[in-house]
Amino acid sequence: MIRDINRKKTVKNAWRITKNRALTCLRIRVPGGHLEARHLELMKKVAEIYGNGTVHLTTRQGFEIPGIPFEKMAEINNLITDYIAFTGQHLSTEVISSREGYPAAGTRNISACIGNRVCPFANFDTTKMALEIEKTVYPNDFHVKIAVTGCPNDCIKAHMQDIGVIGQALPEYETQSCIGCEACVKNCRKKVTGALSMVDFKVERDPRRCIGCGECVLVCPTQAWTRNPQKFFRLVVMGRTGKKNPRLAAPFAEWVTAKVVLGIMENLYPYIQQYIDKSLVKEHVGYIVDRTGYQVFRDWLLRGITLNPEARIAPTMQWSGYMYGYDTDAWDTKSTIPGSL
Amino acid sequence: MKKLLQKDEFDALLSTSSGVQFLGPVRLKGRGRFSDTDLIKYGQIKSFTDIVWDSKTYLSAKELILPITETLLDFTGTTVVQPPVEDAILVLFLRACDIHAIERLDAIFLNNGPSPDPYYKQKRDRFKLVLMECAVPFDSCFCVAMGTNTVSNFGAAVRCIEDGILIDIRDEWFTSQIAGSGTDTEFELQFPQQNGADVHVPHIKEMQEQLFTHEMWDEYSKRCIACGRCNTSCPTCSCFSVHDISYGHDSNSKIARRQRVWDGCHLDGFTDMAGGAAFRIECGSRMRFKTFHKIYDYRKRYGVNMCVGCGRCDDVCPEYISFANCINKVNDLVNESRSTPDE
Amino acid sequence: MNNAWVPVANRITDIIKETDVEYTFTLESSIRPDHGQFVEVSIPGIGEAPISVSGTGDGWIQLTIRAVGHLTCAISTCKVGEQLFIRGPYGVAFPSALYENATLVVAAGGCAVAPVRTLIRSRLADKKLAANTRLLFGFKNPESVLYKDEIDEWSKLVQTIVTIDKEACSWNGRTGLITSHVADVDIPDLSQTHVVIVGPPVMMKYTSAQFFSRGIKQEQIWLSFERRMACGLGKCGHCKIDNSYVCVDGPVFRYDKALHLID
Repeated sequence: MIRDINRKKTVKNAWRITKNRALTCLRIRVPGGHLEARHLELMKKVAEIYGNGTVHLTTRQGFEIPGIPFEKMAEINNLITDYIAFTGQHLSTEVISSREGYPAAGTRNISACIGNRVCPFANFDTTKMALEIEKTVYPNDFHVKIAVTGCPNDCIKAHMQDIGVIGQALPEYETQSCIGCEACVKNCRKKVTGALSMVDFKVERDPRRCIGCGECVLVCPTQAWTRNPQKFFRLVVMGRTGKKNPRLAAPFAEWVTAKVVLGIMENLYPYIQQYIDKSLVKEHVGYIVDRTGYQVFRDWLLRGITLNPEARIAPTMQWSGYMYGYDTDAWDTKSTIPGSL
Repeated sequence: MKKLLQKDEFDALLSTSSGVQFLGPVRLKGRGRFSDTDLIKYGQIKSFTDIVWDSKTYLSAKELILPITETLLDFTGTTVVQPPVEDAILVLFLRACDIHAIERLDAIFLNNGPSPDPYYKQKRDRFKLVLMECAVPFDSCFCVAMGTNTVSNFGAAVRCIEDGILIDIRDEWFTSQIAGSGTDTEFELQFPQQNGADVHVPHIKEMQEQLFTHEMWDEYSKRCIACGRCNTSCPTCSCFSVHDISYGHDSNSKIARRQRVWDGCHLDGFTDMAGGAAFRIECGSRMRFKTFHKIYDYRKRYGVNMCVGCGRCDDVCPEYISFANCINKVNDLVNESRSTPDE
Repeated sequence: MNNAWVPVANRITDIIKETDVEYTFTLESSIRPDHGQFVEVSIPGIGEAPISVSGTGDGWIQLTIRAVGHLTCAISTCKVGEQLFIRGPYGVAFPSALYENATLVVAAGGCAVAPVRTLIRSRLADKKLAANTRLLFGFKNPESVLYKDEIDEWSKLVQTIVTIDKEACSWNGRTGLITSHVADVDIPDLSQTHVVIVGPPVMMKYTSAQFFSRGIKQEQIWLSFERRMACGLGKCGHCKIDNSYVCVDGPVFRYDKALHLID
């Protein structure tokens, strides 16, 4: 069989190059990680009719359906059109009516923890927010990873993303409603940052230490603590894995509104466009930031954005992490670890 | 006298009654324990639409009559100042169980001890109670078992209908307030006759001593986390502690405030004495203490069970401990350990 | 309306340091508490606590405080001429009239001598009653013996047994727990006897047991309870045990009632 495949176009269309030259693998986006159960029928159908009957769940909450012959791509793209239209309602009619499958794959599925549809700790509806972000950033094809998590427990691992969105609750305290049981103070000290302390049988909150997790609201027996109904977010940026310098994302913004979050997401792409190293197949955004420096990155991301009054933006950035390629000559070996192995 | 008040007629009454505050269950949007949930609590009613009919309040109306934090006295040197006395009439919309609950509090704050509590009495005397009819009880209610499903001690009773309320007026004050408003009508107040929670309350004169130390309480030692939500949400829990706060000095006189704050028998420190002695260290014994108070020893002292079956404690326990089920467990043990009922 | 929460500022006229941590304050006061009653004592800005009255007289009361808590430590630093705020007295007193025609044994452990001191003083002030009074005190060590001089005076008038928990070089009196000396209390007529036992819960329990073994009945034993009362007015709930409030139904309870007060 003659197999003349435009690799770049295929990959952009959300089809993978695999070990087997005859077979590809379909990537399905699940923005916000939440599906209607009926959509599983589609995954099943594609896997059983075209693939090898299995489905892989990705770390980004998508599906990969392997073992599909390349020549079935058009047929399947047509088949998944309704699904793409459902999960990407913002996509242009041109994209949908072309029935040619996913328009881009570089900006990865926006993953989300289960959020406040279920989780008592979550400070907002993460799936809804993920869909909002999806609307803003997709179908860009730059390689960007974004995840959304309901609270600083960060179950979705927002700290491993290029941009991680973490829900913050601004706790408000009604002094007269407090019984001084210290549940919030003890809990904050044990589980969080120790932002609360007792003064004259009532609680004082140190706003510098409060991370907006909402735990005080959760444990208060009288609801003296409640959430400000306005939703706030912390953004952590440029976390990554990879073969060079894995590292956790670091805080970029705190107490910003959803509007600011989405504005920052939108601004990321012109920045990448401006500074990406086009000689590479795909350059991760984090390495671009390493090259341009934080200040340039920051200026581009905040362009045209009016910050809400509560917002705080990091003036400088220190990422942790380490570089691969360190010297292991002096490392212990089987023979040098005392009394073992 | 029974009347139909349209929404706008009701709202007109609210706005024209001077010196009267209207209080009832209201919705605080987004202020619930979990994000994107509302907090339902007692607060000021400014219009018909403020009243929440379809949800139970988290805290009961207790917080209006026994404020969570209440100033008792202010001190400047040796001068003792009592807080100013207010005189607004307080019209309170509440359910049958919560009216009973206020009577439970009355027993303690007005009738127990050497004299009525002046702070409580000062507010209590200003309350006018309006019964909110419970057509259908909530999921966790067990008022029928506690005998609090019906009530007669109210000035007026209301039923919510689509475009207003039906009001059954039982006293002169309400009659004079409402005369001239609305249209005469007929309706019969309904009281729930059955609850979702099937509760059986033991009726005994003296609790057998072995039930105080029974192993059934051990389970609660393992489950209860002493958060006190059952106490704070309970409309009849009445315990408080007294704290002093120092505000430093003012021209050589010490300025200080004495206040009382809700306390609860499930909370750590409730029995702590100076010097380190404490009672009921285990949460199971706190559960026993509370349970017997609610369904046994209060009745021995005041003639009626303290618990009013509102089910709030079951609604709020983060460990999903059911007080209703605890009552049933005690009832089973009581029945097991005696051949014939003694009451 | 009369507000029972309002305290009266009373001047401190005398302070006696009894032990390392115990002080007896004499205050100007017009109240006349009965034996075993208590008052709510406060320093505004610090706090309020129930304290039993350890002495009364015309225009004065005495309070013996043990500096172990937030408030009592603050009180212990007060000086003559300063004021303490007092409200009360509260609670049910020892039924001293009932004891008049009987032998009265008073057994007290540690600082619990304070709440029975006025009872003892009134008994010993009357020659006939003094003759029918027996005292039994237990202390931890020689340093913690409260009212030492007064006890010496009492011992000249009536049988007075004082014991400390363990032998000590500065002590040549009795040693061992109070329970081990109950047998030596001179009780001429068991049926015409009342026993007052005050102290920590464990002490009251086992001392009572010793008196039972001597033939004393539950109805002849009187205990005094200590709880964390925040009001003294039957409202705050801290001192409720079963259907009793220690502040209004106690602190003095007859044994047969106290028996059913399970915390």
